[in-house]
Amino acid sequence: MKIDNSLPLEYSTEENRLKILGFWIFLGAEIALFSTLFTVYFVLVNGVGNGPSPKDIYELKMVLIQTFLLLTSSFTIGLGIHAMRLGLKKAMMTFFIITLVLGLGFLVFEIEEFITYVHEGATIQTSGFLSSLFTLLGTHGLHVTFGLFWGTAILMQVKKQGFTPETTNKSFIFSLYWHFLDVVWIFIFSFVYLKGLM
Amino acid sequence: MKQLFPVSHVMGFVFSLVLSLVALTVVFYDMSYAMGMTILLITAFAQASVQLLMFMHMGESKDKVTLYTNIAYALFVGVFTILGSLLLLVWDI
Amino acid sequence: MKWDEFFVFTHDPMLFAAMISIVLGGLAIFVGLTYFKKWGYLWTEWLTTVDHKRIGVMYILVALVMLFRGGVDALLMRAQSAVPENGLLNAQHYNEIFTTHGLLMILFMAMPFIIGLMNVIIPLQIGARDVAFPRLNAVSFWLFAAGAALLNISFVIGGSPDAGWTAYFPLASLEYSPTVGNNYYSLALQISGIGTLMTGINFIVTILKMRAPGMTLMKMPMFTWSVLITNVIIVFAFPVLTVALALMMLDRQFGTQFFTMSNGGMDMLWANLFWVWAHPEVYIVILPAFGIYSEIISTFARKNLYGYKSMVVSMVAISLLSFLVWAHHFYTMGQGVMANSIFSIATMAIAVPTGVKMFNWLFTLHKGKITFTTPMLYSLAFIPIFTIGGVTGVMLGMASADYQYHNTMFLVAHFHYVLIPGTVFAVIAGFHYWYPKVFGYQLNERLGKLGFWLITISFNVAFMPLFILGLNGMTRRMYTYSEETGFGPLNMLSFVGALGLALGFIVLVYNIYWSARYSPRDTSGDPYDARSPEWSTHSPVPVYNFAIVPTINSLDAFWYAKKNKAPFFEGKYEPIHMPSNSGQPFLMGVAFCFWGFFMVFSWWIPAIISALGIFATMIYRTFERDHGYYISVEEIERTENALRGDKQ
Repeated sequence: MKIDNSLPLEYSTEENRLKILGFWIFLGAEIALFSTLFTVYFVLVNGVGNGPSPKDIYELKMVLIQTFLLLTSSFTIGLGIHAMRLGLKKAMMTFFIITLVLGLGFLVFEIEEFITYVHEGATIQTSGFLSSLFTLLGTHGLHVTFGLFWGTAILMQVKKQGFTPETTNKSFIFSLYWHFLDVVWIFIFSFVYLKGLM
Repeated sequence: MKQLFPVSHVMGFVFSLVLSLVALTVVFYDMSYAMGMTILLITAFAQASVQLLMFMHMGESKDKVTLYTNIAYALFVGVFTILGSLLLLVWDI
Repeated sequence: MKWDEFFVFTHDPMLFAAMISIVLGGLAIFVGLTYFKKWGYLWTEWLTTVDHKRIGVMYILVALVMLFRGGVDALLMRAQSAVPENGLLNAQHYNEIFTTHGLLMILFMAMPFIIGLMNVIIPLQIGARDVAFPRLNAVSFWLFAAGAALLNISFVIGGSPDAGWTAYFPLASLEYSPTVGNNYYSLALQISGIGTLMTGINFIVTILKMRAPGMTLMKMPMFTWSVLITNVIIVFAFPVLTVALALMMLDRQFGTQFFTMSNGGMDMLWANLFWVWAHPEVYIVILPAFGIYSEIISTFARKNLYGYKSMVVSMVAISLLSFLVWAHHFYTMGQGVMANSIFSIATMAIAVPTGVKMFNWLFTLHKGKITFTTPMLYSLAFIPIFTIGGVTGVMLGMASADYQYHNTMFLVAHFHYVLIPGTVFAVIAGFHYWYPKVFGYQLNERLGKLGFWLITISFNVAFMPLFILGLNGMTRRMYTYSEETGFGPLNMLSFVGALGLALGFIVLVYNIYWSARYSPRDTSGDPYDARSPEWSTHSPVPVYNFAIVPTINSLDAFWYAKKNKAPFFEGKYEPIHMPSNSGQPFLMGVAFCFWGFFMVFSWWIPAIISALGIFATMIYRTFERDHGYYISVEEIERTENALRGDKQ
């Protein structure tokens, strides 16, 4: 395997560069996926049937906590990659662990929010609006959940193998994924919650 | 310790918090729908750019033209899917 | 669920016969493999392969089987409507058959045939040794195969989807389609769709990053360009299908309200999402066809492709426009005049880049030294026949006129006139054209031409009457009609055409058999004196594709190297890095197939266990450390000498 030492380790082999580009294109597909979910939400947001409307159920406090947790986790994983480029394994792992813990925190609050909705009689089966809301949030939440497992698997490899072209490549790609989930959340925050409460 | 917190990342984080606060104004101040949506669109896309450029290092690799094209294409498809669907199913024109 | 709802083949003698033939066929394969001790060969050489050429061959093999399945559906449909008040099929069976015909032909025949050709040819055409992600490529194939298997199981277990390949709501909802048929629809398409998405990513990266030195984007062969654009469309269109199918599954199996007509749902949203994906899908199956025709026409006209740049520009334009025209599939759904007008104009605009391409092919032929080989005949027939399809498409694209044509046989005739000369002729032409590259011998020309004439003439006999029937008012998807309508004679004519088409395809299959036995070996690797780099290596292609990666300094560099007697390959052998085979993609496909099957019947516990199986294959993959292997210089020399030795 040819290693180009002038580049950061995660870009150092041809295979690594292919994987990073491939993952970016995958993120392009993810944009299309979430755009479609947003389409569904925007089309159905007024289809409340006999159920509650957005204003009835959205709670700003919960949303702000989730937003803060996810924004911060996006910041810490960025720091993790920065530490990785400096070759600081312990710092990198610490930042990654903080990121995953914040992600878990986000998920706990999201699930709590879902439980509150259900207690208020707003389930995924209630109305077109709620079906689209739960599906949009749920898809994002499932991505976060998947990310928690994926990130843990990568951390285990970094711990065992240290920084190699493979492990740094995986960590970097994971960071792209995590930042992207934050980007999606920004749009959910703005166009689902804030627009709904406007 | 200082080297662990590069200025660009800290700035990016501060930016995204500030932009979130600016977006929040649409809830707390009474404003027209058009005004609110304009604020949300600007803050959301600005925040997304912060993530893409400052955190995801979009411009650092040799493939950056491909990456920008890819995101532009995805946004093209996404925006037209949303607007077209609203045109067909919701807006009454 | 009762057992007779599960084993639906017990209801109907025709389905029962199908079930028996599936079981017997499966048994024959099993016994054959055991008798000839081929299980090990099958596993090591095919099921675990990550070689793009073999994956391509497997795609095409599945596509041919599905062509047969979809073709039988078509014959049954035409037979049913050949005479008025026919009782060959009942209404439900007819519904299932036109649904599966559409699904199989588009998603499990046209798509895999194209992806198969793509797999075999693209790395060769760009001078690469494999695709960017060989392992992912195998995953793509096995997910596709899992989806295909699932959809075919539906035929005998549980019942096929029966709401049309478009599966419009509310018809496809649980209320109006209570069988599990449409659960199969949502899950089978979902699984194979994920595979297709991965193919899209894989080929974009391959084409952008793995081209031979010197091959800039504007020096790529036209087929490579068309595949690049196609995969861009795949990457951005398939996520829409993923979402639409997930919502369908949620609506049918989890009681959500997306496409319901009460509680704030909107049934039209399904049609909207479906066509947001399905219109680009049309271009996904047609653009590679354009690429194939470009290769064949320039090869057999002995001229470089006319208007290369305008070809590229028009394809890029098509890729963007294809996302802006979806509403022309449902002008009559009740949206406003303004909306219809916008989509109508966008639709007619898309005819412009397509027209540009037509003229380019004609100018390529102009003053060319044309040889009429089988692939060339298909390409030449494509031009006028496809134009009929295109022109009727523009007729349908006018929103006001469409109120007259909508959902009539005129539409059915139109899209067959686009898809058959466009896609089917192209994949058959490509199949004949590249066959020697893969197998080392050509298909017989006489049989090929016989097949061509049978298929082309019968195609027109089968589908031209449908234009007239449509204008006379016959709607599509009617399982029967009364004699007074007067639709009888033209439908009978169409049935005769369908039989002719079937005969043509039998000749094609016979040609494969005949050529395998009697065709002389092509030792040159370049039987047509062709232009693009795939012809510069041996046939059949060695596992590493090129012993030395060529340097490309112009479009048609291989052609100019031959004309100038200049060497195409320069340099010396070096060890070649290759990816290792793996059983993980196959097992992942199997796990997906089981997961899909259990999901169809809402058997949650087994579904969860299968899902864990899917995750297990993923976890295995992330912890796996596999750096592939190297082919040594000595081994390359040995292989090359053997292949060259054959030539003398």
